[in-house]
Formats: sequence, structure tokens, C-alpha cells
Amino acid sequence: MVAREAIPPFLAPLAYNAESMAGTAPTYDVCVIGSGAAGGVMTAELCQAGAKVILLEAGQEVKPTRFLTHKWPYELPFRGFRSEKQELFYPPDLANSIRYQTSDQVGVDRIRVLGGRTVHWNAVVLRFAPQDFRERSVSGIEEDWPISYEDLAPYYERVEQTIGVCGQDDGLEILPAGKHYLPPLPFRCSERILKHACAPLGIPVIPVRKALLTRPYDRRPACHHCGHCMDGCDVSAIFSTPGSMLPKARATGNLTLRQNALAREILVDGEGRPRAVSIIDRTTRKEEEIQARIFVLCCATVESARLLLNSRSRQHPAGLGNSSGVVGRYLHGHLTTNVDAYVPELEGRPPSNQDGALDHVYIPRFRTKGPENAYGFQVNYAGYMFPHHAKRLPGYGATFKSQVRRMQSGYLMMGGFAKVHARPENRVTVDPHRTDTYGIPIPVVEFRFDDQDLAVYRAMNRTMLEICDRLKADTFPNFADRPRGFASHEVGTVRMGRDPRTSALNGFCQSHDVKNLFVTDGSSFTTFPEKNPTLTIMALSMRAADYIRDQRRKGDL
Amino acid sequence: MDRRTALHLVAIGALAPAGVDAQHVHAAGSAPAQSYQLRFFTPEENLFLDQIMELIIPADAHSPGAHAAKVSYFADWMISHSPEKLQREWRAGLRQLREEAANSSPAEALAAAAKGQTPFFTRLKDMTVDGYYTSQIGIHQDLNYQGNEYVVEFPGCTHPEHQ
Repeated sequence: MVAREAIPPFLAPLAYNAESMAGTAPTYDVCVIGSGAAGGVMTAELCQAGAKVILLEAGQEVKPTRFLTHKWPYELPFRGFRSEKQELFYPPDLANSIRYQTSDQVGVDRIRVLGGRTVHWNAVVLRFAPQDFRERSVSGIEEDWPISYEDLAPYYERVEQTIGVCGQDDGLEILPAGKHYLPPLPFRCSERILKHACAPLGIPVIPVRKALLTRPYDRRPACHHCGHCMDGCDVSAIFSTPGSMLPKARATGNLTLRQNALAREILVDGEGRPRAVSIIDRTTRKEEEIQARIFVLCCATVESARLLLNSRSRQHPAGLGNSSGVVGRYLHGHLTTNVDAYVPELEGRPPSNQDGALDHVYIPRFRTKGPENAYGFQVNYAGYMFPHHAKRLPGYGATFKSQVRRMQSGYLMMGGFAKVHARPENRVTVDPHRTDTYGIPIPVVEFRFDDQDLAVYRAMNRTMLEICDRLKADTFPNFADRPRGFASHEVGTVRMGRDPRTSALNGFCQSHDVKNLFVTDGSSFTTFPEKNPTLTIMALSMRAADYIRDQRRKGDL
Repeated sequence: MDRRTALHLVAIGALAPAGVDAQHVHAAGSAPAQSYQLRFFTPEENLFLDQIMELIIPADAHSPGAHAAKVSYFADWMISHSPEKLQREWRAGLRQLREEAANSSPAEALAAAAKGQTPFFTRLKDMTVDGYYTSQIGIHQDLNYQGNEYVVEFPGCTHPEHQ
């Protein structure tokens, strides 16, 4: 367990105007909506601070014993080709409840399960660099965040200590390190060879940083290297809300967990302040109100924006917390591409090191100036079970078969993740004429890459090919004319900023318009560098939790 | 590199936190279905498809091929759960290939389709690859895949020449 200072009780003298509460005391201090990375941190922190918290989750618990983590393809009905391992986390009522309109090929992830994407992730956790919060000051693009790296650094540290992160300090300014890492995952053969090939190009290859335990930690066991991180870690060696945060929250006695509770709309009082959330129970289809003093949205980028936009009232005609009109706008996320390479010196060798924890190494952004250079590479996260080159090699028959086998031992996969610029025209709206199966207007996604994004795409692809060239590898690039986007890393629709006219939240993820409303998931990002979002989401959520606690103590909230 | 020592454990035991089940059993390979009922192809079509798929990934000295891995049944299952348009294309493509095989031989008909890079050849080959390399034979006997095991310490690369 992480040593924490003793925290005084949460409840400060009530600062509420009794009249505006219409005589009904809210049942809960805080209602947290969504149990993913943001909601898990928020819930545990506030429960530990003494708040009575209700955590709403639209999905339900899938116990780790039900995960299909270690199932072989031939034990699954469609051999895994129809995402059978993941469908536990994506109930059928999600289907057809989103629309993409004049969009490039992007995908947003709307997982619906207790723990959100923390039960279905690869757990790469990277701190943003100081310059990543200052795009306008440094590169003259986008906006600066209202907070700096220094504001977030203590929370990065605390989150890392709480969740357990393996890795090391590589002394890189572009990828600041913490002080408390578990031992890094060791390099595989292909990753050593990659490191040597990248050295002359000035490209570092470092141990990946993951919320994955390489030693037992916080009453959780160490990773057993089965190589199926994304299918749900059945022993919680990878951080998840149900495996790590909910036990902490439950231990306080302050947690009420409500599953299958789909938030429809946030209801306001006579002064326009949130007083309750209207939920639909997915099992009974009955609607009810959950009352609380403070509401924290942790529903992820699309659903948080959807909930605010669906919460229209006399006081908030454009949606709750949307006097600026930016809610739903500035949707962005990673641009992705990948290459399958086959290292000649490993071909034909007996297979080895084919398990582990998916990616063990990371190639951080290596040209730190110039927006077109904002990309990094994850390595070998596709696993080794399936020979991806088999459909790309010409021919068939005995020669083909033995060539597939020979090459598989040399498999090295690189996936690029690049910065996409935050632009107001890329957005999530709601369609009042089309509802999901519960009668809630569905989200509509509009997204197009622009020339700046395509410039990063080209630079990133060039670099991947340069590296493959150095490796003398047989190379199968999966580059399309137009890039794909997001890979579950979508952000920005309820952005934070200093100016209430151009942003929805302040630096504490608090609504500019209504004080008792917070949004702490990735939608709060002002801009987004090439690094994976989750650690920053958790740090922002933890910082907001501290702020809520302090404001409550002062009586300001 | 030699196979690294793998330790199969059935239980994690005391380290598992509350809420995580202590029993942690890795799935052992289960036997394939004993008898498969064709859902889409006729027995004649299946016989021909099986022959063609064995030509695409044949048995050799190293491992059995697509026939032993029952890849035509996999194809039948997948296609029977596909949209009608795709089903029609499969049926038509297979009929044409059979007709050509009747005039020459299955091997010659396949060779001609491969040479012409016909869409149906790509479809056949992709289905064979998908079915074979997700079968027990493909994963374990042919590729000798070494993952999905309980490994206490992951050694990584230990070759002196790669350090």
C-alpha cells in the first residue's frame, strides 16, 4: 500500500442554499459517472477523503474468472475473428447507437463494463512532457493548457505509486520519469536488434512504461507473461479499476456502486445547478433520479460530451456547462499506422520470447521540435500467435507454408501513434431524431484529418520505413492513403482552458459555468501529444479529487 | 534460443486481491468438435474445397496441412455466419473453380486462379490462412508457438550477440 497522509473528514459545513435545494437533502456527496481510469481514481480518492460517493456504471461487472484471456483461438466459436474475447465488454445494446458523419476512418471506444477500458487495455502509461502543455507557446499552434507539467507532476507521481508502473528513468526531457518504478520488462531478441538498428539514426529504444506489475505490489500478483494483456488481465497484474481502486474505495465504507445505470441527463435546480442525474436501469428499463451535491463525469470523450449535450434546460439551452459552445468540439485523438517487419537474422530460428506482456519497449518522440515530428512507436503489441505476413506473401503450397514458418520467428511489429491537432470543426453532437434502445439521443461523430495531421502521418511512415531499412527486414507496411485515427485514444470534447469563452472547464476539470460539475476523463484535454492518454487522465482526476476535497473543506463547494 | 522454462501453476493463491478469483487455471487445448455438420456447403462442395485448401497449405515433413486441420469446416462455419452476398460469391467462385478443375485438375485450376490473381483466389487463400493458423495443428505443430503459458520470470533475449 502507498503511504498516505491522514486525511481529515470530507464534510465541511454545508454551503448550500437550503431554498435552492427545494428542501431535499441529496443522498450523496458526490456522484461519479463512469468507472474507467478517471472514475476509478476519483472514486477511491474521494471515498478515502471521507465523502459518500455513488459510482454509476452503465455496464456491469465481468468477473476475471469469465475473461477469455487464455483461450486458444480454436476454443472460440469464430476463432477470435469476431472479437469474441472482448465482446463481454461490449454489450449488444451499444450496436447502432452511434453515427459517423463525413468522417475519416476513425473509431471511438465506448466500452460498457465495470472498470471501463481499464479491463481492456495495454496499460502503457506515459507522462506528458512540459512542452506538451504549451503547444501555442512552443510551436505556435493550438492552445496552451491552463495548467503546467509542474502542476501535474506530483499527481503523476502519486498515480504511479498507487497503480504500480514498471519501467525506468531514461533521462529524456520529452518523456519525464517518475521516481518509483518496478523493474522494467526485459527486451526480446527482436527488440535488442531494433535498438541497435535505431542507435545510428539517433532514435532511442527504451523499456516501455506500463501499469503492469513485474513484482507483487499493492496486494496484487506479478505478471505471468501470458501475452494477452488486451483480453483482460485475470489476475489484475495489470491495473484495473475493479482490481485495484474499488477495493480501496469499498474498504472505506463510503462507496455505493450502482451498475447498469445509464446516465440520460443531468437535472438542474432553479438556479441552474446540477442537482440529480436521471438514469435508466438497463435491467429494468426504469428511469430514476440520483441526487448528489457534486457530479463528476468520467464517461470518456464521446459519452461525457453526449451527456452534457443531452442535458438541456432553460438555464443551459445548449447543454449543461456549454455557454461557450465548445462542448463536443475539438474532438481529436491519435493517428495510427503500423508495419509488420521480419528480421532476417531471427528467421528460421526456433520460436522464442513469444509471450511476455505484449510490448516491452517503446520508441519515444525523438525529434522534439516541429509539430510534424510529434510521433512515437509502440512495439510488438500484436502478439506472436498469428502469422500476419501469410496473407501478404505471394504463392501457396509447400514453399509458401515453410516460408511462413521461417519468417514468423523474426516478427517485429511497430505501431506509430501521432499527434492530431485539436480543431473546433471536429466534433461530437447528438442526434435528437435518433435514439438508442433506451430512448437517449445518440452521439454523432464528425472528424476529418487536415494537412498538418497528414504531414505527421507522412513523417511517421517515412521513419518506420527507415528503421525497417536499417533492420534489413522484410517489410509489410500497413499504410493507407489516408490515416486511421484514435485507437481508443480519443480526447478533447470538453476541453479545459483559462478563458470561459473558449473552454468548458478550468484547470481543475471544473465547469466554468456550474461549480459542482467536473469532467475528469480525456475529454478535458486541451491538446494531445503523441503519448498515451491514461496516466494523464488519472493524474487530472486525482488532482480534481484533491481540489474537490479542499473546496469542500473551505465550504466553497 | 532454447525454450525458456515455463511453469504452469494452477493457483496464484494468497497474493490475489479481494475480488480476483484465486483459482487461475490456464486453458488446456480442448479437442475439436468430434462431428461437424455442414451448414453452408454441400458435401460435394466441401470435398472439393478441402482438396483445394490442402493444396494451399499441404501436409509436409514438418506438420499436417489444411485437410488434417479441417479448414474446410472452418470455412463452412464462417461463411454460414456471413451476409448472403458473400455466401453467393463463395458459391459462385467455387462452382467456377470446380468447372475448371473438371476440364483439367484441381491443381491446375488453382494454379491458373493464383496466376491470374483472381479475387476468389485471394478469398480462398485468406480463408485457408485464417483457418489453418488458428487451429491446433497450425499453432502448435506448425508454428510451434511458445506463448500463452505461465512464466514466472521472463528472461528476454539472452543471446550474447544481441546484447
